[in-house]
Amino acid sequence: MSNPKRLHPAAILFDIIRALKQSILGILPIAIIVISNGASFYLMIGAAVIIVLIILSSVLSWLRFTYQLEEDQLRIERGIIVRKKRTISKHRIQSIDLSQNVIHRIFGLTKVAIETAGNDSSTDAALSAVSMEEGRRLHDELKYKKQVSEAGSPEVPEEADIERTELDESSLPKRTIALKALIITGSTSASFGILIGLFGAAFSQVEALIPDQFYNDAVRLALSLGMQIMIIFAIIVILFLWILSILYTVIKDWNFTITRYEKELFITRGLLEKKQTTIPLKRIQAVGIKESPIHQLFGFARIYVEIASANTDNSQEVNTVIFPLLRKKEFTSFLSEFLPEYNYSSENLIHPPKKALPYYLWRSINIPLLAVIITGIFFSSYIWIPVIIMLVFGVMGFAVFQSIGYAIDAQQITVQTRIISKDTAIIPHRRIQALQQKQHLLHRKQSLATLDMAILNKGSGRHFVIKELRTTDSDYIADWYSYQEKTSSDINH
Amino acid sequence: MREQPNIKIATDAIKAWQLTAHIYTLIFLLITIGAIAVYIIFDFLPIWIIFIIAGLTIVEWIITAWIIPKLRWRRWRYQVYDQEIYIQHGILIVTRTIVPMIRVQHVDTQQGPILKKYKLATLAISTAATTHQIPALSEEEASDLRDQISELARVEQDDV
Repeated sequence: MSNPKRLHPAAILFDIIRALKQSILGILPIAIIVISNGASFYLMIGAAVIIVLIILSSVLSWLRFTYQLEEDQLRIERGIIVRKKRTISKHRIQSIDLSQNVIHRIFGLTKVAIETAGNDSSTDAALSAVSMEEGRRLHDELKYKKQVSEAGSPEVPEEADIERTELDESSLPKRTIALKALIITGSTSASFGILIGLFGAAFSQVEALIPDQFYNDAVRLALSLGMQIMIIFAIIVILFLWILSILYTVIKDWNFTITRYEKELFITRGLLEKKQTTIPLKRIQAVGIKESPIHQLFGFARIYVEIASANTDNSQEVNTVIFPLLRKKEFTSFLSEFLPEYNYSSENLIHPPKKALPYYLWRSINIPLLAVIITGIFFSSYIWIPVIIMLVFGVMGFAVFQSIGYAIDAQQITVQTRIISKDTAIIPHRRIQALQQKQHLLHRKQSLATLDMAILNKGSGRHFVIKELRTTDSDYIADWYSYQEKTSSDINH
Repeated sequence: MREQPNIKIATDAIKAWQLTAHIYTLIFLLITIGAIAVYIIFDFLPIWIIFIIAGLTIVEWIITAWIIPKLRWRRWRYQVYDQEIYIQHGILIVTRTIVPMIRVQHVDTQQGPILKKYKLATLAISTAATTHQIPALSEEEASDLRDQISELARVEQDDV
């Protein structure tokens, strides 16, 4: 159908950057040792050799990488020494996402990421740089042609396809985040804390590099300026980091738009780096709503889905955010619009009984309690510090106890948990991989039981644990889950 | 909790676990002998440390070889239905697990040298997210169960 094609030469650049990123971690320690021993001439030669090798291998791998669109499959050939051929059938393709980072956008290019069914990431493929039109063409060919060509003659589909999508586009459920909401997300996001941590870490590293003389002078100056100046300086730094984290969120989630198609959710976002994410509905394992304490105060929440996928690259997040910020009362309407398969019912949650509270408190305060005891023995005048920490943990334990609960609907269970953020997840019955009831000696006497439900996600699976439920409730869930009719008839406890 | 599963695992499991415990105790025994040797040759350790080490070794041996295997065996139960597998285990914390047949991805039997000596095998049932083991079944039973479960397990490939 078409001849083998190469990627855009910019792919060489991406390959070089990737290789440099990978090798820099390995080279850096050696480089530091070499520099400190003064043999930097050899280092220069070594670095030059490595860079030349990287460039060479990138050019070669670009030369050897070809892709070809055939009747109903995409064929990719690559490899410098070992030639690898991969054929991906159209029918197996789950999603094709086009994303552009800054370099892509300068050259008018796009990355094409192809994800196939199954949990094996080795069957996925990515074209790191093709021109925008080519990307669109690939996307349309691979995605739509199959469906349309079944309906009509092979010439018409291109038009029919466009018509179809245009017609649908306006009537499809679609929602874009407002800039204001993005700023709120950024200003209350956890990335702020991470930034402070990073800044602290970077500062402690820089400290070692600053010449002693300068450092001493600076410290003397700072001390002479007095406490007020120091505090103002600290506030300025924190403010600066805070604004940075807002900017980061705004740039990352700029124009966050979610669209519901018949069989998938489609997300586009990003200001500098434009990203597309396609989430096939049948991959969704659970829908969740997460409220951090600050968000909870203002009635906001973040919506995410757990998806089964081998594709864990470039994000530490194991779940996928499908809307960064929403008023919590809008959640029900959001769900019925985008995921009507799930319904939310948090009003009639069933909570663990009062007698479970001591367990929750104990779990949250046992370590601070140890600190209190140790401090009490050795530095009894400072005992108030760990006592306050213990009280804070105790309050958190109580908050966990208050939040935890479940609600059962015919085909799905809603589980609400909390570590720091309140997390409510809706899990369809058939997505639960296995269910465990646990009970230790004390539990048995008090007729309490802990329940553990496992589902798949992008990582190694997620466990929803409800601790210290009444045995009757835990049995009720087990019977609801059980596929076997006979066991549900004879409950005894 | 719900009614427990009916079927117990092989009685020889106790023997196999005991043998494993004996082997582990050998390590402690070696440490004890080493301590005694140090005491005799170098006159380096105080004698009460030797007694503590020897005492700990004996206590460890009694608990892991004579108490735990029997309790563990008594608790271990399983049952394979048409639609699901029901497992119970745990001495202090009793865990009951339901694994639906349609979620089972594959079943393995495993056998180490100790289990082989007693003609036993372990059955491992994997779903997409979890793995569950039934230890120490008789060889025939393990392979029968493996075949039976893989017959009953029909994961719909599409929805994982």
